[in-house]
Amino acid sequence: MVTKYRFLYGKIICLLFLLGVPNAMAQESDFELPKRVRSFRQGQLTDVGTQSGVNTEFPASKNLSLRRQAGDGNTASSLVPRTGPISGYMDFHFNNAEFQDPVLDFHRFVLLFNHSFSDRVRFVSELELEHAVVSKGTDGELELEQAYVDFLVRRSFNVRAGMVLAPVGVINERHEPPVFHGVERPSVETVIIPTTWFGAGAGVHGEVGNGFRYRAYAMETLDASGFSADSGLRDGRQKGAESNAKHVAGTGRVEFVGTPGLVLGASIWSGDSGFAFPRGDVSVTMAEFDGRYHWAEFDVRGLYAHAFLDGIAELNNSLQRIVGVNPNIAEQLRGFYVEGSYFLLANPAPRELAAFIRYENFDTQYRMPSGFNSVAAFDRDSWSFGITYFPDPDVAVKVDYTVQRNRSEVLPAPNSFNVGLGWWF
Amino acid sequence: MQRLLVWGLLIVSGMLAVSKIQAEQTDHRVVTILAERFSFTPSEIHVTIGTSLELRIHSNDTMHGFRIIGNDVNVLVPKRRQGEAVVRFQAVDVGRYEFECSRLCGAGHNFMRGAIIVHADRQDADR
Repeated sequence: MVTKYRFLYGKIICLLFLLGVPNAMAQESDFELPKRVRSFRQGQLTDVGTQSGVNTEFPASKNLSLRRQAGDGNTASSLVPRTGPISGYMDFHFNNAEFQDPVLDFHRFVLLFNHSFSDRVRFVSELELEHAVVSKGTDGELELEQAYVDFLVRRSFNVRAGMVLAPVGVINERHEPPVFHGVERPSVETVIIPTTWFGAGAGVHGEVGNGFRYRAYAMETLDASGFSADSGLRDGRQKGAESNAKHVAGTGRVEFVGTPGLVLGASIWSGDSGFAFPRGDVSVTMAEFDGRYHWAEFDVRGLYAHAFLDGIAELNNSLQRIVGVNPNIAEQLRGFYVEGSYFLLANPAPRELAAFIRYENFDTQYRMPSGFNSVAAFDRDSWSFGITYFPDPDVAVKVDYTVQRNRSEVLPAPNSFNVGLGWWF
Repeated sequence: MQRLLVWGLLIVSGMLAVSKIQAEQTDHRVVTILAERFSFTPSEIHVTIGTSLELRIHSNDTMHGFRIIGNDVNVLVPKRRQGEAVVRFQAVDVGRYEFECSRLCGAGHNFMRGAIIVHADRQDADR
């Protein structure tokens, strides 16, 4: 009898044991992950905490049920207003261009403020001080580059209004110093695309499927009286300062970001810009294409931008009558660049170093209206090469050299040696 | 002794069969997400109800946040080469769950959005 019970107990224990095995096996992955994350957190705790200044107890792992909650997106917590921390970026430069004295310039001091009224209504702003001092004797500017409210309806459709960035090019919407190589932003995205291109406006944006994005805004137009042969459209920006709203420009961008590391984009901007000349009919249309791809430690990017201006002969004549000098503005501006970079030291910061090389070709007088001649000095190209050292992924120490050429035999383009320190927080 | 051995073998084979069925019923998926200014890639993830989903999110630049709107999920994604955030779910309700970057990361911060879509059957998820 005792033997029989022993056998029965044995079977029960055996059964319980075996029942536990698959259960334990099923849970093994559950335990495995927190262990791995914990090891990451332990291994990186000091670095992450020290370098980012965040609470080291941030939740690196969550294990939750994906369950629809009452009032999805409008839960009590989502209605609590949240003012985010102040963020910002800065750019400090040493520029040594040929034929000029070297300069030290605190080029940009930018602070970002944001506030969430709710999950669906958010405010973002960017206040920029350029060249440290704003006074009559300096080039300093204080600019409100962004200040908009986003009404986030759904992922595929959102509304934005306020001071917005024109969605044109790579750098205009993505200009934090650690995300691009070179001390100065690419020339094509300075004189052909007038980065940072911002203005008062409103529009829609969203993403559909896996990575197909769009943005479409109506925004203030450019002021043709500010156009020039050297700087192109740059000084035509109204910057939301009592902007003339007789005409409104339309701008849009489509983008594909669905493949890891790849971004392909195309933008257009079009608007009547001759409001300063009652009898003038000046319009500007810009088309732009760009792509970026990074694979392992390689990164390659390229951009092509082309601006078409109508009514320019009349504009040149009008400006000549007003200021006495013909500005010689072109009816087409064009530029492109290609850049490659490689992480020579691909370790976690502070042992992270990249090298880059960039070729740019840009002409602010690509096509002249009939009766006007182009100036060879404005047909330029350049090679820039250098390194970017990252003591932290958000801090970039940059050193580069730019060899610039133009087609003029009289006025040589200056080469330059540049050192920069840029950071984001 | 012989009977014990037979019983033991029967129980082991039974349990193995049961665990295999369980494994087939609970689909486990691991998805690696790249976060960078200003996108999550992939930004749309389709799963079938019952799926155990593990998201491994790493950054290619600064620190980002990963928050699922309307759920108690809000983690920080470490900076480039400094690790990854891991979020694990059991997809228990059919629906669309939108996620976003919850840490201000630059001018295009509000563009960083995506969605996890839980389907009732596998065919819809694969479509």
